[in-house]
Amino acid sequence: MSLDYLWDITGPMLEGARTTILLFFLAILTSIPLGFVFTLMVKSRVKPLAWIANVYIYVMRGTPLLLQMLFFCFGLPVIPVIGEYLVMDRFAAACLAFTLNYAAYFAEIFRGGLLAIDKGQYEAAQVLGLGRWHTMTRIILPQMFRIALPAVSNEAITLVKDTALLYAVAVPELLHFAQTAVNRDFTIMPFVVAGVIYLAMTLVLTFFFKMLERKFKFD
Amino acid sequence: MTNNAIIEVTNMRKSFGKLEVLKDVSFRIAPSEVVAVIGPSGSGKSTMLRSLAHLEEVNGGSIRIGNEELVHNGVYPSGGKIKEITSRMGMVFQHFNLFPHLTVRANLELAPKLMKKYSAEEIRSKASSLLEKVGLQDKGDVYPSNLSGGQKQRVAIARALMMSPEIMLFDEPTSALDPELTGEVLQVMRQLADEQMTMIVVTHEMSFAREVADRVMFMADGEFIESGTPEQLFGSPQHERTKAFLNRVL
Ligand SMILES: Nc1ncnc2c1ncn2[C@@H]1O[C@H](COP(=O)(O)OP(=O)(O)OP(=O)(O)O)[C@@H](O)[C@H]1O
Ligand SMILES: [Mg+2]
Repeated sequence: MSLDYLWDITGPMLEGARTTILLFFLAILTSIPLGFVFTLMVKSRVKPLAWIANVYIYVMRGTPLLLQMLFFCFGLPVIPVIGEYLVMDRFAAACLAFTLNYAAYFAEIFRGGLLAIDKGQYEAAQVLGLGRWHTMTRIILPQMFRIALPAVSNEAITLVKDTALLYAVAVPELLHFAQTAVNRDFTIMPFVVAGVIYLAMTLVLTFFFKMLERKFKFD
Repeated sequence: MTNNAIIEVTNMRKSFGKLEVLKDVSFRIAPSEVVAVIGPSGSGKSTMLRSLAHLEEVNGGSIRIGNEELVHNGVYPSGGKIKEITSRMGMVFQHFNLFPHLTVRANLELAPKLMKKYSAEEIRSKASSLLEKVGLQDKGDVYPSNLSGGQKQRVAIARALMMSPEIMLFDEPTSALDPELTGEVLQVMRQLADEQMTMIVVTHEMSFAREVADRVMFMADGEFIESGTPEQLFGSPQHERTKAFLNRVL
């Protein structure tokens, strides 16, 4: 097993990791805000909104992400009549599935964060004369994000690993190149290298979130 | 005490579902008066105080603050009007309710800044002088989690005073504190009383009620049973229930 060989297989895998990372950032940057919108909907006094959000969360959490991804890649285009307008690039379809799926999880995480905030915080804000907007933006949301941070971190790490599901819709990413190399060369090393690359990515994330947690420790 | 009362509550009623918590509560508070409210647990003291601050909406009766009615025969005015009326009152809670993500100074400055009540410069100097007043001038940059209970409650009092209220409502401000920390909070409240602040203090601290209050009101089962000067109420209570309660707590 030469270093040269390791280097040869690592190159394409790093190339594939770019797709992994791209999916990661697209999914996390869209699903967090979307998840928060769903949290607000669940909390909304407009009952139909809360109802829609709850059903949405139930469906997205209650079915496999893989199913959702296949649904967007291969399911939508075969719907009669409108199907032909729903054909998407497979990577785009996968991104959509990831965003919609993770938004449901983030919605629940943020809802949990809101539940953890004592009602005395709302009352203190009210007697000081703060309106609903200021109470939310200045008192509640900063605390909610702080409380949610460990769970968000956890979810982000899961997301890195879930990107490997792209394999199922044949979008070439990290795992795809590892599998190709294993089949071609009859060696286990590409899987080891892939594992190390995943670990490197989750390590960076772990440090990043630890830093955020320290920054928002409030003591 | 005639109609110059700064607070006048008439026939206030409040229920939570089937549970009638306040039954026909009426009282008046004169400007600069310090009133201690005592009574058994569950008698409705907090609910009474929270209704004044509009943290609860009553089901009937009227509350007048100054010349304006927060609620008239169970009917509330618009939200803006309610805010304007309740802004004349500050409230201090048993569990402090400081904002944990803000420093002590930011806790004080947040509301006046958002409300643009004063200029930034005035807000800074007001915060500094109030921190000094409660003896915490060196704690401005500290987060609440690093304070003792007594210090937290003093910050909460200073935070309420930032909005220059005419009336201060206290709901058991020392009940969550270790006994050795109650003194520092009561000291600040005593000072406020000396400065002619109108105060309603729900308390279990009978010695505070005795020494600082102009008047003590005894509440039981959602009604004020009797009220009088500390000498009257503690010295010669008229009602059996008052006597029974005082026997238990004194
Ligand atoms: N939000 C609420 N929903 C339902 N019941 C409530 C609510 N708030 C208070 N109560 C009930 O109303 C009654 C009076 O409560 P309140 O807190 O006003 O009593 P209190 O005199 O302040 O008692 P304590 O000395 O224990 O603080 C109690 O029976 C309480 O359980
Ligand atoms: Mg109470």
